[in-house]
Amino acid sequence: MSDGTGRIARGLALPVALLVVWQAWGVASASPRTPVPTHIVRAAIDLIGSGDLPLAIAQSLGRVFAGFAVAAVIAIPLGLAMGASRAVERNVDPVVESFRPIAAIAILPLAILWLGTGTPAAVLIVAYAAFFPIVVNTVAGAKRISPTLLRAAATMGLSRFATMRTVIVPGALPAIGVGLRIGMGVAWTAIVAAELAVGAKAGGGGSGGIGAMMFIFYAYSIELNRIVVCMIAVGLVALVLDRGLRAMMRRLMPWSAP
Amino acid sequence: MSAAASARGDAQRRIDEQHTSSAKLRLQHIAKRFGVQGVAQTVAVEDFTLDVAPGEFLVIVGPSGCGKTTILNVLAGLEQPSAGRALIDERPIAGPGPERGVMFQDYALFPWQTVWGNVEFGLRHGPAGDGLDAAARSDRARSTIELVGLTGSEQKYPHQLSGGMRQRVALARLIANEPQVLLMDEPLAALDAQTRLILQDELLRIWGQDRSAAERRTVVFITHAIDEAVFLADRVAVMTAHPGRLKAIIDVALPRPRNDATRADPQFQALCQHIWSLIRDEAYRATVA
Amino acid sequence: MQLRPALVYVRTMAVFVAVWWLVSAWTANTVLLPSPRVVFEALVDLARDLELFQHAGISLGRMIVSLVVACALALPLGFAMGLRRGFDEVVDPTLELLRPISGIAWIPLALFIFGVGNALPVFIMTYAAFFPILLGTVAGVRGVDRRLVDAARTMGVPRRTIVMRVVLPSALPALLVALRLGVASSWTAVIAAELIGAPSGLGYAVEWYRELLMTPQVMSFIAMIGVLGYACDRTVRAVAQRFTPWAADEWAR
Repeated sequence: MSDGTGRIARGLALPVALLVVWQAWGVASASPRTPVPTHIVRAAIDLIGSGDLPLAIAQSLGRVFAGFAVAAVIAIPLGLAMGASRAVERNVDPVVESFRPIAAIAILPLAILWLGTGTPAAVLIVAYAAFFPIVVNTVAGAKRISPTLLRAAATMGLSRFATMRTVIVPGALPAIGVGLRIGMGVAWTAIVAAELAVGAKAGGGGSGGIGAMMFIFYAYSIELNRIVVCMIAVGLVALVLDRGLRAMMRRLMPWSAP
Repeated sequence: MSAAASARGDAQRRIDEQHTSSAKLRLQHIAKRFGVQGVAQTVAVEDFTLDVAPGEFLVIVGPSGCGKTTILNVLAGLEQPSAGRALIDERPIAGPGPERGVMFQDYALFPWQTVWGNVEFGLRHGPAGDGLDAAARSDRARSTIELVGLTGSEQKYPHQLSGGMRQRVALARLIANEPQVLLMDEPLAALDAQTRLILQDELLRIWGQDRSAAERRTVVFITHAIDEAVFLADRVAVMTAHPGRLKAIIDVALPRPRNDATRADPQFQALCQHIWSLIRDEAYRATVA
Repeated sequence: MQLRPALVYVRTMAVFVAVWWLVSAWTANTVLLPSPRVVFEALVDLARDLELFQHAGISLGRMIVSLVVACALALPLGFAMGLRRGFDEVVDPTLELLRPISGIAWIPLALFIFGVGNALPVFIMTYAAFFPILLGTVAGVRGVDRRLVDAARTMGVPRRTIVMRVVLPSALPALLVALRLGVASSWTAVIAAELIGAPSGLGYAVEWYRELLMTPQVMSFIAMIGVLGYACDRTVRAVAQRFTPWAADEWAR
């Protein structure tokens, strides 16, 4: 089908052109440190081959998953409770809304004060960051459930708990899914930021993870090509996490239109 | 129905036909197809031919999916037919324009404009306002708003209006451009039954059913509702679906002006039954597998 | 027993502060968890000698500059992409490749290019705001009710006028939502960027006082970050309410 391949060609045209221009500019430029596509590819092969990059990613991902799990375990039940009960919402919401504008990264210094510069602080930051999108979207999902559905359940004699389990949770699941996806994205950004910041302040020492690795390449070995490799890795991981989560939500919700 | 009234109806139609040397609108063998031929093609409309006389109120009725809206879009110039020709005053219809004003089912009012702003829109930004200075535009907008009965609501926004009022604004916006033809796509479908009846009366009044035939504009009106079709129309074109085709054209010989009494008229009921019998089977089939 | 929302808010925050007080008294460690009163005193001091507002002003200024630049780039691009399929097909893949790389990930490279200073936070924040604004604009333009455009066409309105007088006002609510997201994004980025690579601003202040182990001040600045973030969000909402009153239901959260 000619139109499909035409579209792919048009889509690739700009990135390819930019890469070519970049390569040419880099080769022509005076400074040897300028990151250049071919060097970046070579650096990528080095970093993956030596196991440094996969290790760093694994470290960061471990923290992300831990923090994300903590956030989800707290935020989803809380959000459902808030969505189902006006009283709960009224009492909890002020605290949530007061802290929501404070980005996770701003809490980092506090976290370091309390827990030091290692993994526990990182997990705390990730959990804090992921908590808000998950809770906000869960509340919205629980609230959006059509009152007619709830009335239908009541006329069928369902208990409050059964209603929660069979009507509210499935009904809110798409919104929860959105919250989880956004939360995952925020969590990944937060961990990179946290590791960068800790790397910057703790003198590049032992926290590990991809953010720290990026900082080392900036401050110590000044390997711009490797920095770019890390940036691309950050982007790829973000994509994979998002797609993975989306696929998982689709498995859990066969009734929803994609 | 008295003999005198029937004679009046006939006379009126003869007056119409007199100044109709040629049709205002012509649709000749219109066909509309989607998709790739031979592979997976949907035929929305097939071989549709119809003439609309000047000043006539023509209603197209038919089940869902029979292509009524497609026909209207072709007349409006919003869609091009796959085959056939559409003509206004014997000239081909190339694209949309203010001489063929359109009223949409969901009003399509600009939510950021007041009633006044909506009604004036075509005059300010389109060719209908060419040669009019600001005062003339204002005059026209004001008199149109008065015509549809919304004087006093000029500064309100659409979201502050009821459905019936919004439809009046849509009508005013269209009439302010002084179109020769009014194309209406189920304009009353979104209203509740009572508002509908009121607006049917209003529509006929604004169209000019109290005035002479020469003063009336040509109207092509689409609806699902058969009673609405018979109440409003001079002629009813009945379409069937899959593919959309013109099944029959029914003359509605009820006298004008039409009002509540018309609806009680046995001839009215008979016409409604007749049209229903033409499309009943199809309507049924649409509700089962 | 229906208390007014403001009262409920005050009551909840009072409970929060009370719990905080108890825990801080129990741990009795000013560095780890200072009592609310100490934090409040620090806050008042910082406000009195204007340090709080100086840093706040600097961060806000950076955010405004970034938003202006981001809008100047994203709005025309978003309109072009939303209106012309062909243009979108060429540009979108490149943008989709860049988008997953968050503004934060750019910091090391940007540090190398700009060094520590004003330019770094502005660059990072512009980048962070650019994508939400762009995506929201494209969605807004694409989401314009087709019927409104058709209505204008049937009135014979020329195409350029349709873009200015129908598409633009129609997309305005969505654009303002996009702006809100851009504000949130860039306000988050400002902290990270200043924490790592700027000699001034709220993020810098937070980190500075942490190194001095002066937790009350750290908390004061964190509170300021929260208050300003909230105020910016409310401002955009108020603007939207004022200029697009017909789209009230698009403002869920």
